[in-house]
Amino acid sequence: MPRRPDFSAVGHSQPRLDGTDKVTGRSLFTDDVVLPGMLCGRVLRCPLPRARLLNIDTSRAEALPGVKAVVTAQDAAGIWLGINQPLLSPEILNHVGQEVAAVAATDEDTAREALKLIRVDYEPLPELKDMKAALAPGAPLLHAKAKGNIAWEQADDHGDPDAAFAAAHHVRTDHYVTNPTHNCYAEFHVAVADFTRSDKLTVWTPTQSALLFQKSLAAGFKLPDSGVRIMCLNSGGGFTGRTATRPHHFLAALLSRKSGRPVKIRATGDEEFIMCRAGGRVEYRFRSGVDRDGRLKVVDADLLFDTGGYVESQMIVILLTSSYLDALYPVEATRYRGRLVHTNNLPYYFHHGGGLAQFQFAFGQHVNSLALDLGMDPVDFHLLNAVEKGHTTLRGTHYASCGLKECIRKTARQAGWKQKRRRKEPLKGIGIGIGAMASGAKGLFKHDTSAAFIKVGDDGKATLFVGLPDMGQSSHTAMAIIAAEVLGIAPTDITVASGDTDLDPLDVGAFTQRGTFNTGNAVKNASLDARKQIAKTAAAELGVRPSQLKFSHGQITVKNQPDKVMPFAKAVFNTLHSQEGRFVMGRGFYNSPLESGSMAYSFGAQIAEVSVDPDTGVVTVEKVTAAHDVGRAINPRIVEGQIDGQIFSGMSQALFEECVMDDGQVLNPSRLDYKMPRAWEMPEVEHIIVESVDPHGPFGAKEVGEGPIVCTMQAIANAVADAIGEPVTEMPIAPWRVLKILGRRKDVA
Amino acid sequence: MQLPSFEYLRPATLREGLDWLSEPGTDTAVVAGGSDLLVNMKLGLVTPKRLVSICDLPGMQDVTEDADGGLRIGAGCKLTDLLQHETVTGNYPALADAIRAVGSQHVRNMGTLGGNLCLPTRCWYTNQSEQWRESRQPCFKTDGELCHVIKSSARCHSLNSSDTAPALIALGASVTLASRDGTRELPVADLYFDDGVDYMTMRPGEILTEIHLPPPTGVSAFIKVAQRNGLDYAAGTIAGWFDGAAARLVLGSIGSHPVSLPKAADLVVAGGLGTKTIDAAADAARADLGEVSNLFSPPGYKRRLARSLVRRVLEQLADLQGGGK
Repeated sequence: MPRRPDFSAVGHSQPRLDGTDKVTGRSLFTDDVVLPGMLCGRVLRCPLPRARLLNIDTSRAEALPGVKAVVTAQDAAGIWLGINQPLLSPEILNHVGQEVAAVAATDEDTAREALKLIRVDYEPLPELKDMKAALAPGAPLLHAKAKGNIAWEQADDHGDPDAAFAAAHHVRTDHYVTNPTHNCYAEFHVAVADFTRSDKLTVWTPTQSALLFQKSLAAGFKLPDSGVRIMCLNSGGGFTGRTATRPHHFLAALLSRKSGRPVKIRATGDEEFIMCRAGGRVEYRFRSGVDRDGRLKVVDADLLFDTGGYVESQMIVILLTSSYLDALYPVEATRYRGRLVHTNNLPYYFHHGGGLAQFQFAFGQHVNSLALDLGMDPVDFHLLNAVEKGHTTLRGTHYASCGLKECIRKTARQAGWKQKRRRKEPLKGIGIGIGAMASGAKGLFKHDTSAAFIKVGDDGKATLFVGLPDMGQSSHTAMAIIAAEVLGIAPTDITVASGDTDLDPLDVGAFTQRGTFNTGNAVKNASLDARKQIAKTAAAELGVRPSQLKFSHGQITVKNQPDKVMPFAKAVFNTLHSQEGRFVMGRGFYNSPLESGSMAYSFGAQIAEVSVDPDTGVVTVEKVTAAHDVGRAINPRIVEGQIDGQIFSGMSQALFEECVMDDGQVLNPSRLDYKMPRAWEMPEVEHIIVESVDPHGPFGAKEVGEGPIVCTMQAIANAVADAIGEPVTEMPIAPWRVLKILGRRKDVA
Repeated sequence: MQLPSFEYLRPATLREGLDWLSEPGTDTAVVAGGSDLLVNMKLGLVTPKRLVSICDLPGMQDVTEDADGGLRIGAGCKLTDLLQHETVTGNYPALADAIRAVGSQHVRNMGTLGGNLCLPTRCWYTNQSEQWRESRQPCFKTDGELCHVIKSSARCHSLNSSDTAPALIALGASVTLASRDGTRELPVADLYFDDGVDYMTMRPGEILTEIHLPPPTGVSAFIKVAQRNGLDYAAGTIAGWFDGAAARLVLGSIGSHPVSLPKAADLVVAGGLGTKTIDAAADAARADLGEVSNLFSPPGYKRRLARSLVRRVLEQLADLQGGGK
C-alpha cells in the first residue's frame, strides 16, 4: 500500500470508529426512536396510475377510537415537493401509490383499520404507460407547463459537432436501455416528527443532507431554517436516494401538528418501493466519430429519461450526464440532448451517482464497440484517448491531478488482459470499463460549503463536529483521521459528533462525492486552527517559534532539536489551566473557489471477467480487477471497502436489478422478487489504489464514493459481449436477454 | 405488514385435528412449518381464524423404512432434519437435492416436506399486499373473472414452485391423505390440477399425513436453476429418474402444476441415455409443455430453459448410470 512514511494517521488503515457499535447493535437508527405518546402514522395511497379525486370522506376514520389525526389535501395546502407535486393533491393524481391522505393512531392496527374506513371516489383518467405513449401526438398532458409531456429539456453543442462528424473517418451509432431500479437500503424509509411546538419542528430521519432537509421542511411549513431540527442518528444506506425530503417527512410533521403528539411513519415492504424513487427507464442514443488513428473526435448523445408523474430535481441527471460526454476523452466537439418525460409511473429520481453509473453502462459499451469496429484492443483505444493531468475539457473542467492512464495500464497488467484476450475460451469474456467522477460539485447553491468545529479537552482528546452524514461510507472515520493527522494524535482520540442541525456546523451534505474533499478540507482547516492555539502555548514553554513545532504521535517536538519535546495533552492542559484560561476550539470551512463544477476528479479502470451458462443464460462474474486514482487513500481499508461495495452494487444492477413495471405498478416490490445477489455472488476482487495526490484535496485526497461503480456495469457488459459475441444493450443483463442472443448465435456455444 | 390475530390449536391426536378442521363455520386451516402460510396471511391472501398445527402429532416427524425397502416420511418432518437421514440422502438423491434447493436455511429449518408439497401457487399479481392489489381488478384467484398474466385465459396461471414435488413425482412417491372418513393413498403426480386456483386435488377436511417412497431403484437427479444462489424461487427445476425399464421426467416452476414429460421419458426408455437420445428427448420436451405464461420470465425463455433442463438432467443420469450407481 503506497503511503507517505511521515504520516501518522493518513494512509494507515483504521477500522471504523463506530464499527463495534454497529456490529453489536448499539448504534441507534431512526426506528429506534420512541418518544412519549408517539403515534403510528400510515398513508393512504392512490390505487390508479392517473385519476381525478372526486370526493374523500374521512369521518368514519376520525371516529375510530385510537385515531388522533387524519390529514387530507386541505391540511397540506401550499406544501410542494419539487416543481410540480403538491404534497397531497386535491384533484389530479399521477401515479399508483401517490399519497392521498394520512392517519395517526395509537398503534399500527388501528392506523391500518382507519385507512380502510376512508372512502375515496376516483374517476380513472387515461394513463401514460411509458415514454412512447407520453410522446405520441395527441397524448394527454400530465402538467400544463410540460408541453408534449417534456418536463425538462437540455440541448447544447460544444465545439462544432457537424464539422467534426464530417471530418470523421468512422462513425458509429448505438442504442441502449436501462430499466427502473430500487436502491434497496438496509434501512427502510422512516421519519419521526415532533411538531408539538408550533415554532419548532424536529424530525429524526436518515438523510444524506440534513441541510437540504432542513431547508425543504422549513419552506414547506413557513418556518425559519432554525425552526427545523433534523436529527440523523445513523443512516442505513444512501445511494443518492436520500438527498431530498419525501412525502412521508411532511406527512409525519402534519400529523404531529394536528394530533399534538410525535408521529412515526415507517415504510412497509412494498411501500418502500413507492417511497424510494430510484432510477427510471432511460433510453440512450449515442453517435460518435473517430479519426483514422482511432482518436475519438466527437460524441453526440440523445437521452430520454422517464421521470414519472412529477419532477423533483431530476434535471440534475441531465446536468450530470451532459457534463460527462467529454470527461474521459479530449474530444473536439459534443452534442447533447436530454429530455425528462412525464409518464404515470412513479416519480423517478436517481440511483447511484445521479444517473451516471447507468449512463456509463451505455456509453462505455458504445466506446468499446467503436474500438472493436476499428480492430483496436479496447485497452489500447483507452490509452490512446484517455485524458491526462493538466487537461481542460470543452466545458472548462480542469484536471489538476489525473491518474487515468496509470489506472488503465495497471489494471490491464494485473488482470493479464492481453494474454486472456489471446487465449479466448468459449463463453468466457473479459471487458474493461473506465470512469471519472467529481469530488463535489458547486451548483446547488452559490456556495458548496462544508464547515467543521473541533474542541480539544484538557485530557488531550478532541471532539470533532461536522454536518456531514455517515450513511455507511465511513466518512466520520475519515474526518477523524484527517483531524488526527493535523493534531498529531490518534484517530481513536477523536469523537465525531454529528447528526443534529441544532449543533452541527453547516454542511451541504454527503452527495456529489463531496465529503472527503470538501468536509475533509474544512476539518483540516479547523484542526489547523486548533493546532495554532496549542502551538502558541507549546512554543512559549519550549522557547521556540510556533513554526518550528511538529505534531505527531501525541508529542509536540521541535525540528532539529530532539531534546525539546512536550506531550500534546500537556500543551492543551497548560493552555486551559493558565491565567488566560484559553479553551482550544478550532473552526474551519471549505468552499470551492469555482463558480460551478468541481475542483478534483477521481479516475478509475476496472476489468471484469465473466462466464456465461449457455443453457440458462446466467452470467457469473468471476473476477474484477479495479484500479482507482483516489488522489490519496485517507483510509486504505475503507477505500478497498468502497471499491468492493460498488463492484457488488454495480454487478447487482448490471445483471440482476429491475423493477418490473405494469400499468405504473411495480410487480416485484419485495427483496424476494426484486433480485439482488447475495454474498455468494461476490466475485474475487483485486484492488489497485493509485495516488495522484491532488493539489487541492486534503492531503491530496479525492472521492471514492461513486468512482468505482461507474466502471463496473460497463466492464461487466463489455465482458458479456466478449463472451457471447454481441452486446446486451439493455440493463439488467438478465438470463433471458442473454439466452435470446445465444439462441440465434450458434457460433458461440 | 402484520400478522392478523388467529387461534392456534395443537391437537393431541390426528382424530382431534381432523375434527377441528371439519367443524363447520370455524374457518380453520392446517399449519405445519408455516413458512409460506404465515406470509400469505400477512398479505391478507388467506384469512383463517383458526390454525390446526399438525407437526407435533404422533408419527408426523417419523422416518421409517418399510418392509419392502421403501421409506415412509411423516408430513411434518422438517426439511433440514430429512437431510440428516442417510436413507434419504443416499437412496433418493433427487429428493435430497430438491430439499437442499428449498428457500433458505431458515425456511428449511421451519418448513416441512408435507408443507412443501402443499405449497400454494404463486403469482406477482396476487402475492402482494392488500393495498397493492387494490390497484387491479380481482382475478380468478381473488374471486374475479380474469387472469392478469394471460389476459385472454379462462383460468388462473399462478405458478407451482414446490421444489420437492417434481422430485417425489419422478421417484414415484405417493402420499397418505387422512380425513374423518378414513385414509386414501394417492400418487404425488395425482395431487395437482393444472390450475392456479384449484391447484390441489385434496378435498376439504383432508390432512396430508405421510409421504411414501418406493424402494430405491435406478438413478435419480434434481436440478434447480435460479438467478441467485439460494433464497430464490426457481426459474425452472427438473427431476429425472430412470431404471432401465421405465423413466420419469418432471419439470417444476414452469406452470401451475409439476409438468410431467412422457414423450421425452418414452424416448429414454426406448433409446437409453446416449447423446442422440438425449438431444431428441430435449427437443420432445417442448411438445409436453403446453401453454407457457409470461409470469416471472418470458415464455420463450422458459421453453429454452425446459429444453436445457431435460438435457442436463439426462446427462446427469447418464453419468450416474455410467458410474455404476
